[in-house]
Amino acid sequence: MANYLGIDVGSITTKLVVMNESDQILAKCYIRNSGRPIEAIQQGIEEVLTQLGKTVPIDGVATTGSARHLAAYLVGGDLIKNEITAHAIAVIDFLPEAKTIIEIGGQDSKVIVLRNSVVVDFAMNTVCAAGTGSFLDQQAARLGISIEAFGDLAIKANHPVRIAGRCTVFAETDMIHKQQIGHSVEDIVAGLCDSLVKNYLNNVCRGKEILSPIVFQGGVAANRGIQKALERELEVSFIIPEHFDVMGAIGAAKLVKKAKLSKTQFRGFDLPRKSCSTRGFECGECENQCEVIELLVDHQVVACWGDLCERYHHSHID
Amino acid sequence: MKVTFPHLGSMHIFCKAIAETAGIPYIVPPETSRKTLTLGVLHSNECICLPFKMILGNFIEALQMGADTIVMVGSGPPCRLGLYDLVQKVILEDMGLHYRWLTIPPRLTWQAIWKNHEETKELRKELSARNIFLFPYGLWMGWKKMMACEALEQLAMKVRPIEIKRGETQKRLKKALSWVDEAKTPRVLEEAIQKGKALLQEMEQDRSRIPFKVAIIGELYTVMDPHINRGVEQKLGELGVEVTRTSWFSTHIMRSLRKNKADQTSERTRFFEASKAYLGYDVGAECNVSVGEAILRSKEGYDGVVHLMPFACMPETTASGILTKVGKDWDIPILTLILDEQEIEGRIQTLLEAFVEMLEWKRRAA
Repeated sequence: MANYLGIDVGSITTKLVVMNESDQILAKCYIRNSGRPIEAIQQGIEEVLTQLGKTVPIDGVATTGSARHLAAYLVGGDLIKNEITAHAIAVIDFLPEAKTIIEIGGQDSKVIVLRNSVVVDFAMNTVCAAGTGSFLDQQAARLGISIEAFGDLAIKANHPVRIAGRCTVFAETDMIHKQQIGHSVEDIVAGLCDSLVKNYLNNVCRGKEILSPIVFQGGVAANRGIQKALERELEVSFIIPEHFDVMGAIGAAKLVKKAKLSKTQFRGFDLPRKSCSTRGFECGECENQCEVIELLVDHQVVACWGDLCERYHHSHID
Repeated sequence: MKVTFPHLGSMHIFCKAIAETAGIPYIVPPETSRKTLTLGVLHSNECICLPFKMILGNFIEALQMGADTIVMVGSGPPCRLGLYDLVQKVILEDMGLHYRWLTIPPRLTWQAIWKNHEETKELRKELSARNIFLFPYGLWMGWKKMMACEALEQLAMKVRPIEIKRGETQKRLKKALSWVDEAKTPRVLEEAIQKGKALLQEMEQDRSRIPFKVAIIGELYTVMDPHINRGVEQKLGELGVEVTRTSWFSTHIMRSLRKNKADQTSERTRFFEASKAYLGYDVGAECNVSVGEAILRSKEGYDGVVHLMPFACMPETTASGILTKVGKDWDIPILTLILDEQEIEGRIQTLLEAFVEMLEWKRRAA
């Protein structure tokens, strides 16, 4: 049976999924990048291999997420797809009647409007990362609580405090004020959840028609505090898919399955044992001073990018 | 005297032509780069818009290279951009740079003519009789080159979605524009135009493709300059979209001259009229025109609209709110892209890819 690998490298986390022809998930993983996407991808491959027990033949690899190009160059991707389409594809197969997808990730938040299983509208935060998971991450770290415990703490709140939701930097000022006048951590944390949801609905979803059934996914969907705040604001319930945290990777795997490739470029499951690194140099040919990046696998340059004029640009996929 | 001018789109080509033909010394600022933006950001107010910072960067680089006279197009309030020239003057003076400033008025009013008269009186002292004698001819060459650049760019917009080798159109367009730029006589210019058009038309094309039709609307500097909009026009074209836009230098010059009523002015008037269903008065800058154009493009059967605006741009922020309603009412997908100094090429690419895919789904469902 044919198997497909979907990789979603976001700004904060890396998600991998191995899926077979009948859309069964054979292995999945969700790991933090800690700012090192290459290591995270290697680690991810190692982890899915452990879950699989043995290497299985892979018939196609697709990458998505903001580091989708880097991921494709590294693992030998066959298909590179934007994360909006990948998320939509995953949901359309999971719940064909879905009308709205709410996706809140680390640095990105999106809303995708579906009608009759077709994307008709979407929005994503552009210049500003307010209303995304990274804000919760930062505040959790500042308060000395783990992000996993954050949501559970929020639902214990009796009186969530009001925190300005316009901008996360402004929100932090507001939040510190609340902390210094003596509000409890639970109330502050719940207030933060409210503020993030309001920010997301005002900035990203502005003018979009949010109709049920709504699917809520992305790493932040696990946060019970956010779930509760979102439910309160929208006044409707939503569905959280079983694999809510790896939906982008699932969508990518489905897309590469549909592409029906004759041969994959996959570098194999032994990638974690190879030395993978990048090195950069500044090009001095013009005023742009592009920072050019070379990707090395086993000391061989396998791809090069980062130059605006594409003087050095090359890889297996373009 | 050494004249300089900003780098907007292909504006430097025809500004240079005017100066060169009239024999006036000039300095073309170095091509807009990250360094330009860094300089612009460093010396301007944090919350001002991206076009302001880019243009300021151009001026700083040119003045540092020895230019002493700046030619800049002014516009009008309520857009902050309308006060560009005034604010930029103050910043450059504070930096200790010495120069003279010549504003090309957005509308030829008596007041503007008087102001220009004062400015040019000074300049005239430095210009030779030969310069003044050749100036009308320079203007004519500049105009010719501007029209040539626009014609080439429009041709590139048509062939880019059907190019076989990705990026080939852009390479050829660059070459064709450089031929126009280098032409010194009307005869050579005419040859350059023909050669340039042929270069684009003779490129390998796949005529079986049916490109999507998308109009780019929004704040005019952002629409016209690829450095400000991070090459949205090229990116969309390479994704298989035939792009149209109504913001060109000739459109805006014609508008200020209030000429050619039957042609370009009427297009803007039509857009303006169409916006009245949503806007009761003139918000300023391109706001009403953006809203109206989206409506009319939908009627004309366009597949989508991409709306460009700098972060914190007042008139276009107003427009973007109304455009979400327009998109629903007229069933046309509208993507608003907000641009600022961050490097968000990747994000823009993601949004544009998803937008084009959405158009594909829509086409398949139809």
